Amino acid sequence: MEKLLLRNIEAPNSHTLELYRSRGGYRALGKVVRELSPEQLIGEVKASGLRGRGGAGFPTGMKWGFVPKDSPKPKYVVCNADESEPGTFKDRLLIEKDPHAIIEGTIIAAYSIGSHTAFIYIRGELVYGANVLQRAIEEAYRAGYLGKNILGSGYDLDLILHRGAGAYICGEETGLLSSLEGGRGWPKVKPPFPATHGLFGCPTVVNNVETLAALPWIIDQGPAKYAALGTEKSKGTKLFSVSGHIRRPGVYEVEMGYPFRQFLEQDCGGVPNGRKLKGVIPGGASMPVLRADEIEGVRMDYESFQAAGTMLGSGGVIVMDDTTCMVKAAWNIARFFAHESCGQCSPCREGCHWMEKIFSRIENGQGRKEDPDLVLSISGNIQGNTICPFGDAAAWPAAAFIKKYRAEFEAHIAQQRCAVLASE
Amino acid sequence: MDAVKLTIDGKEVTTTKGTTVIQAAAEAGITIPHYCYHPKLTIAGNCRMCLVEIEKMPKLQIACNTQASEGMAVETQSPKVLAARKAVMEFLLINHPLDCPICDQAGECWLQDYYMQHDLQASRFAEGKQHERKREVFGPHVVFDGERCIKCTRCVRFLQEVTRTDELTVVDRGDHSTIALFPGTVLDNPLSANINDICPVGALTDRDFRFRVRVWYLQKTPSICPGCSTGCNISVESYQNRIARFKPRINEEVNSHWICDEGRYCFYALTDVERITAPLIRQEGGLVPTDWKTALGAVISVLSGAQPVCGVLSGRNTNEEAFLFAKLLRRLSPQARLEVYYRERKLTEVEKILKSPDRSPNFRGARDMGVSDDGFEPLLSDLLDGKFRSAYFVGEDLLREVAQGEKVRQALKKLSFLVVQDTHLSETAKLAHVVLPAVNFAEKEGTYTNRKGRIQRLRPALVPPAGARQDLEIFSLLLARVGEPIRRATPGEIFLEIAREVPRYRGLTYESIGNLGVQIES
Ligand SMILES: Cc1cc2nc3c(=O)[nH]c(=O)nc-3n(C[C@H](O)[C@H](O)[C@H](O)COP(=O)(O)O)c2cc1C
Ligand code: SF4
Ligand code: SF4
Ligand code: SF4
Ligand code: FES
Repeated sequence: MEKLLLRNIEAPNSHTLELYRSRGGYRALGKVVRELSPEQLIGEVKASGLRGRGGAGFPTGMKWGFVPKDSPKPKYVVCNADESEPGTFKDRLLIEKDPHAIIEGTIIAAYSIGSHTAFIYIRGELVYGANVLQRAIEEAYRAGYLGKNILGSGYDLDLILHRGAGAYICGEETGLLSSLEGGRGWPKVKPPFPATHGLFGCPTVVNNVETLAALPWIIDQGPAKYAALGTEKSKGTKLFSVSGHIRRPGVYEVEMGYPFRQFLEQDCGGVPNGRKLKGVIPGGASMPVLRADEIEGVRMDYESFQAAGTMLGSGGVIVMDDTTCMVKAAWNIARFFAHESCGQCSPCREGCHWMEKIFSRIENGQGRKEDPDLVLSISGNIQGNTICPFGDAAAWPAAAFIKKYRAEFEAHIAQQRCAVLASE
Repeated sequence: MDAVKLTIDGKEVTTTKGTTVIQAAAEAGITIPHYCYHPKLTIAGNCRMCLVEIEKMPKLQIACNTQASEGMAVETQSPKVLAARKAVMEFLLINHPLDCPICDQAGECWLQDYYMQHDLQASRFAEGKQHERKREVFGPHVVFDGERCIKCTRCVRFLQEVTRTDELTVVDRGDHSTIALFPGTVLDNPLSANINDICPVGALTDRDFRFRVRVWYLQKTPSICPGCSTGCNISVESYQNRIARFKPRINEEVNSHWICDEGRYCFYALTDVERITAPLIRQEGGLVPTDWKTALGAVISVLSGAQPVCGVLSGRNTNEEAFLFAKLLRRLSPQARLEVYYRERKLTEVEKILKSPDRSPNFRGARDMGVSDDGFEPLLSDLLDGKFRSAYFVGEDLLREVAQGEKVRQALKKLSFLVVQDTHLSETAKLAHVVLPAVNFAEKEGTYTNRKGRIQRLRPALVPPAGARQDLEIFSLLLARVGEPIRRATPGEIFLEIAREVPRYRGLTYESIGNLGVQIES
């Protein structure tokens, strides 16, 4: 398969403007600012079928279309580079290896809504990536891709790199905006939505790194070529970060609709050391886990993962073999969410810690018979009732681990110790 | 404004466009339970207590942030809503301490009330509770208990949006989130104690009221703050005939939901005094107790012979009292100079949100009743210049209130006759020839007219000590002695007389004033 997103990363000095340009970089931008009106551009992106790669899979062209055209306020575009979902490290690769694709994509997005200031909000821990991006931004300014009168088109755009302070919740788009405004990284109550009331109360589009990085190729090669890839509703290619008990971990670019089992067993080399697959989380830690027997026939696209009872999410594939204690895995994930809950709304603030404490107790031999059902009940009470989707992100995996590995939880509780280790 | 029709629990409700579901429900008499929502603060949407079901929406929605729209069907009692509410209550309580027996909020705590209404289940929480800072002093009037806090951010938003003083914020994350002072700050703005009122739980309590009395023992009397001429609506809350606290009463025309700290605690200075319970008369060697007949007789006979006379009424006297006082002194001497005590001071920006620059809640009403000739300052300077031979002071300790205290003392000493009517033997009263024991603002009934011309009712919360008499009664007894008997000297009857005689008050009745007052044209 021809690589779209990872087309440059293997090249030496792939992060430089020179290399990027030598491979056709910024050609798309030239076409956009000289030949396309914002409406035409939005039309092309709609035609490509591109959907947001930040987790929710929202159609990108449609999102841009929500921004009011006649608003007298400034408009903003923010590139979401906060990538902190456990098991997800695909944006980081693009940031470090192909920063100009992100920058070009961000300029294209900004042009589509008539924004003259854009931001890249990068996770605080990604210091190296931030340096790469900053250098690339400076190169782009010098080459006339940013700043005043871009490529002589009369269009102006400033791009500002902002480093977060290292909080998962600042990846949620309104938490990000609060943080970018200088406040606590607290998600905002919706409505109003960012498209009309985003950064500093102005119309704002937030897009994921991978979403933006796909744009130059789509414009350059034409939306039809992109739409020809993938399935009916999931177009194009998608990056998957693969980690855990797998022979060849790493970031893979996959055409949407690719068979999941084949991907794990052939592309990634399968579970090593003669072990058996026990479970796999396909979309980052916030998505429900699939048992080994559930991946049969599943394809790597939004609809197929959803039909299997999970979600494509951020494409963070976490593989677990049969030595994995699922109680411990559930606890590990619950601990992450308890630690990262912003604490603003009651169900998430209290519920995440409660679930974490129960998992910890079960894992440490203090489980009670009623605990699995209690966790299911707490998870159900959080779901759908919170300010932002973090609540769901914490509640879903907890419930999924219990539902899918219930016997293991019960054995843990009955024996007051780890059944997996005992069976070794 | 466009009207919007919706149904809430099957009931048809009409409201204006832009109204939220929680407000529309309130207008229709349906209370949707809530913690973080406060009608005077921005929407935080964090407690999730107000979740309701709305037709065609898959998820429950928070009523505080959902605008009512045409044809919307809202359910506030569906099984799904009740379950969510119960769940939210459970979440709020798992880490909450079992402090109720020692918590000052008990009895007016929204956690307690909503637990009874919406939760009523045994705890399913088998873990150790999260511990937090307890008893942290935030400022002169506010103490914080972090374990009881439900992080509704009402306090933070009040300080950001109403006073704009920003002393508090939320710090830390997840279930470690807590409220804290910014380093180096003290919560001492002039409206600070309001956050004790809006805190729905026992996390912020009033350092003054704390541990004084259980709230269910309080007797609550709707009345008016005697602190200044803004005329904030208050509830005087008393126990065993002592005021335990003032609480604001909501009146959007006057004070909204707030009162200032100075007003809130002003009752101490006005009620914590050693009361006099018999009239006093000056004899050689000083003031000695006497009976009312002797005292009142002396007032009439000496006052009418010692002209010119001046009369100074306290700004805390009611309209009814002012009306009779004016009648009395004009009868004694048509040239009598009358004033209500009134002095201004400078206010800070935060004070200006609510306060008036005076300490005379009814100066305007007293003037309307005729207790005003040229203003207080000219009268004072004439007094200092020795232009009067006698004076009748009611309820104001001029020696203490006025900066030129020593000069006033000398001037008063030169008077041939001084009558002081007050609750206690003030510095001024010590110079009097006759002292008449009267009552304070909390022991009387009547009306005040605030700075903006709103007439509001003062109601008695306390029983005066035996021996003291209502100011109104004293004036009417004196009036009887000068041949102008008042047939029924009750505040209500006098008010009717005011309504007949004072143009701007024409046609008003006690009933029409109600609990929130009426505005006369200004
Ligand atoms: C808890 C939470 C964390 C998130 N973290 C990220 C993130 O790190 N990066 C990201 O692009 N989107 C993240 N998202 C999704 C964003 O809210 C938003 O949907 C996305 O940035 C939109 O971009 P897209 O339309 O290009 O997908 C997160 C969402 C939630 C609820
Ligand atoms: S759901 Fe969790 S992370 Fe999101 S606003 Fe509520 S407390 Fe914060
Ligand atoms: S805040 Fe309410 S529930 Fe908590 S201890 Fe005080 S009275 Fe009890
Ligand atoms: S102290 Fe009271 S008002 Fe402030 S956040 Fe806590 S519960 Fe709410
Ligand atoms: S009152 Fe609506 S969320 Fe708190």
